[in-house]
Amino acid sequence: MLAARDLGKSFGGLTALHNVSFDVVKGQIKAVIGPNGAGKTTLFNLIAGTLRPSAGTITLDGKTISGLSASAIGASGIARTFQQPQVFRSLSVAENVMLGGHRFNKAGFIACGLGLSFTRREEEDLHATASKWLDFVGLAEFSSRTASELSLGQQRYVEIARAMATGAKVILMDEPAAGLDDTETRQLGDLVRQIRATGVTVLIIDHHMDFIMSIADSILVLNFGEWLAEGTPEEIVGSETVINAYLGSVEDA
Amino acid sequence: MTTIALPARNEIRNNAATVLAFAAGMIALPFVFGNGYYLNTLVFVAILALPALGLSLLSGLSGQLAISHGAFFALGAYGSSILAVRLGIDPAISTILAQFIVAAIAAAIGAVVLRLRSHYLAIATLSFAIIVELLIEEWSSVTGGMQGMIGIPPYEIAGMSLTSDKAVYLVYWPITILMLWFALNLSVSRVGRALRAIREGEPIVDSLGIRAANYKIGVYVVSSVFAGLGGSLYAHFVGFVTPATGSLMFAIDIIMVLALGGFDRLWGALVGVALITLLNEYALGFADYKRIFLGVALIAVMLVFPRGLLPGIIDLVGSGLRKGGADARRA
Repeated sequence: MLAARDLGKSFGGLTALHNVSFDVVKGQIKAVIGPNGAGKTTLFNLIAGTLRPSAGTITLDGKTISGLSASAIGASGIARTFQQPQVFRSLSVAENVMLGGHRFNKAGFIACGLGLSFTRREEEDLHATASKWLDFVGLAEFSSRTASELSLGQQRYVEIARAMATGAKVILMDEPAAGLDDTETRQLGDLVRQIRATGVTVLIIDHHMDFIMSIADSILVLNFGEWLAEGTPEEIVGSETVINAYLGSVEDA
Repeated sequence: MTTIALPARNEIRNNAATVLAFAAGMIALPFVFGNGYYLNTLVFVAILALPALGLSLLSGLSGQLAISHGAFFALGAYGSSILAVRLGIDPAISTILAQFIVAAIAAAIGAVVLRLRSHYLAIATLSFAIIVELLIEEWSSVTGGMQGMIGIPPYEIAGMSLTSDKAVYLVYWPITILMLWFALNLSVSRVGRALRAIREGEPIVDSLGIRAANYKIGVYVVSSVFAGLGGSLYAHFVGFVTPATGSLMFAIDIIMVLALGGFDRLWGALVGVALITLLNEYALGFADYKRIFLGVALIAVMLVFPRGLLPGIIDLVGSGLRKGGADARRA
């Protein structure tokens, strides 16, 4: 459903990503791994429209999304979570998640200023949606708390609930397990599987190999901005190119 | 599923109740205290509250300051006056037409300036304010130049001219209170939420499929129309306009009002306008020195209470009370 063809990105003379092609199958968890500087986050920024590709195309369900604005890409069904959780710190947890579903409602400046009754109905529906996704990630009790009061781990779950509320077809998760202990990582793995169970496709970057191996249906390996390998976790673990280029270098370190 | 109280709904209800109570009080005032010069002063408070509310909406929600509210006040004043005097259009209609002009210009400025993710708004709107001031002074065949325009007709309601202070008071205050209610509703609505989110992270708002730039342009337009409406009401009350109407100094006065009442609270803007107008009217008779005094006061306020004087004092008193309460409990 999500496909990249000959994707490239260079910053001046520096090539961050070169000639990368891959497909993401609907309803799968696909992991992107690779050493630091392999171009993983650049790849996410290209898909989300934060950066524009220098070459190649990205399509979602056959429609080209590369070159669209970030908001148009968000509206087309791609949501993301960030390495450093990016919640709206001064807003309540519920408001954060409500912003995920914001684009489905219509009330504009004048309707809101006049407090027309349909704007209140919209708000109630949106709030119900937000409550549903907060329940989904287990943060229902924190709904009316200010987002900045939550721990970083909890803020990451707020981001996930917010991404789910956008009605996304694909969620990009950038190192969601960073800084989590083993128990928390297992819980996160369960949540990612639950996301897949709702029919949402997940594209995930992470360094915890155990975590990736336990949840990914398919893995894409990048190395120095280039496609290195792609396959099931078993195939990747057994691949000599990958062991030499990546897993080997981790053991050296 | 866990159900959680929906704050916005309650806030809208609370807003409506508070605003209604305030409106009842303001409307009762002339009937309780009778006619007097104070009504004239309060008409100016109602007029000047509009640009202040507009700027408060902008700074409170989007976190940006514009220096163009004086210019839009002038555009509202001159626009409606020119339509009414030169084209003979009914003042109520010319006022509405003038707001469309204001909105169109604000949208054009916003579309250019606000797509950039930066703090250029203040600088860009400063240039705009200077252009408007020059235009009013130089385009004398239409604006009357330095002499300004006189003989601007008052509003008429059911064949009655709004000329007495009391009649104007009883029409202007409901308008201002309606605009306050509009602004309060807007700030607790989904639009307000989107703007508060944009203030914290515009790229993240975009990533949620929301066109952040449109919200920034929208609030700038609404905010500018508040100022434009104030200008029109002003012109049809005093009956004349000059280049001093809505000058750059006026724009800075409005910012001063917010420094007093708070940059992020609408009621504070109203209190700020009332205090500044009363100070001007009854205490600060020393004309030009006043600006120096107010300028120094502004810098002092910004250094000590960056959110504004009244919110700062409320916080101080609040923390003092909490501390006092804790001491009392310990004792």
